[in-house]
Amino acid sequence: MKIAMLAAATFMAAIPALAHHSFAAEFDGKKSVKLEGTITKVEWTNPHIWMYLDVKDEAGNTVKWQCEGGAPNSLTRAGWSKDSLKVGDQVSLDGWLAKDGSKTCNTRSVKLPDGKSVFAGSSNNDYK
Amino acid sequence: MGLCYRSSIFCSTALLALLALPAFAQSDGFKPPEGPVPRTADGKPDLSGVWDHPFVGDMTKSGRNQVGAGELPFTEWGLAEWKNYNAEDGDSTGACLPHGLVRSINAPFPVQLVQNSKYVSFDFETDNWFQVVPIDGRPHRKQIPTWAGDSVGHWEGDTLVIDTVNFNGKTKVDSIGHPQSDQLHVTQRWTRKDLGHMALEITIDDPKTYTKPWKNTRVFTLRPDWEIMEFSCEENNKSLWEGRIKPPKN
Repeated sequence: MKIAMLAAATFMAAIPALAHHSFAAEFDGKKSVKLEGTITKVEWTNPHIWMYLDVKDEAGNTVKWQCEGGAPNSLTRAGWSKDSLKVGDQVSLDGWLAKDGSKTCNTRSVKLPDGKSVFAGSSNNDYK
Repeated sequence: MGLCYRSSIFCSTALLALLALPAFAQSDGFKPPEGPVPRTADGKPDLSGVWDHPFVGDMTKSGRNQVGAGELPFTEWGLAEWKNYNAEDGDSTGACLPHGLVRSINAPFPVQLVQNSKYVSFDFETDNWFQVVPIDGRPHRKQIPTWAGDSVGHWEGDTLVIDTVNFNGKTKVDSIGHPQSDQLHVTQRWTRKDLGHMALEITIDDPKTYTKPWKNTRVFTLRPDWEIMEFSCEENNKSLWEGRIKPPKN
């Protein structure tokens, strides 16, 4: 979409450890999760957007997940909107698990079936 | 007029090196407008504008557009505070409590400065927090300690120096949790380099927490294409409501 997305994608790995509040309070940076599912809702709100998805487990049961994304203000500036991801979209989502054991994650990346990234971070993580 | 005016930040070799690096460019490829420093009717540099700035999550580290303080000179108390900090026990900004002064400046959201001859207002998008700072050289107020402290400013040549005291000590100085106490004294030196860039040097002086003052410097970029947006931390803080973030105990 924009050069910003390529640059921002490289920041995605660094974002969780350097959130404006503490990532470590809530998520486990050592526990990655990869989800393939269907978007059922997007909450475009502060302080973070939330994506809800239905994921089929190995037995074929539907498991509901909720995953936190970036701040809507930063995402808006990077060219995204609440309509960038729609109910029914199939996505592949990488993230880190919440420490409380719930089906909650912090999002590292969200991709559509064609490989296109959605919500690829913001322009403001100028941190090495 | 030389650039090295007494303790002006332009004397900082580290900051001069920072400004010369190609990485000085914005991460999204944006180039701010070029031109000289604009001035107000009374001849002062006009610091007004919506400013993008590097996210400073750890004030000891250096990165794009920022020079960190390096190893911090902790007192015994300060070192204990640092080693014992566990965000799982209570994360104040995650609980939508105020960021305080330094973390409002550090946070990854822009700030709008609006200046006249008597005041500079800082409208931080972070939590939509604001501070209106008198810049006529008046003394500090006598009031109860607060999250963002009491700020007063004066000019030293073309640098606006803001002195802040009377903090309640309830925040950290950065996201990673470096401590502060209610003895914190912050000095900010704001110098507009040209139309599109502003340099900021922050000095942290907190004798209870650190044995000597230390500095972090950074460069801001003018974003005439941005406006400050609404930011309600409280509107959907699921992490707090669902118990994954706990508010601090005191």
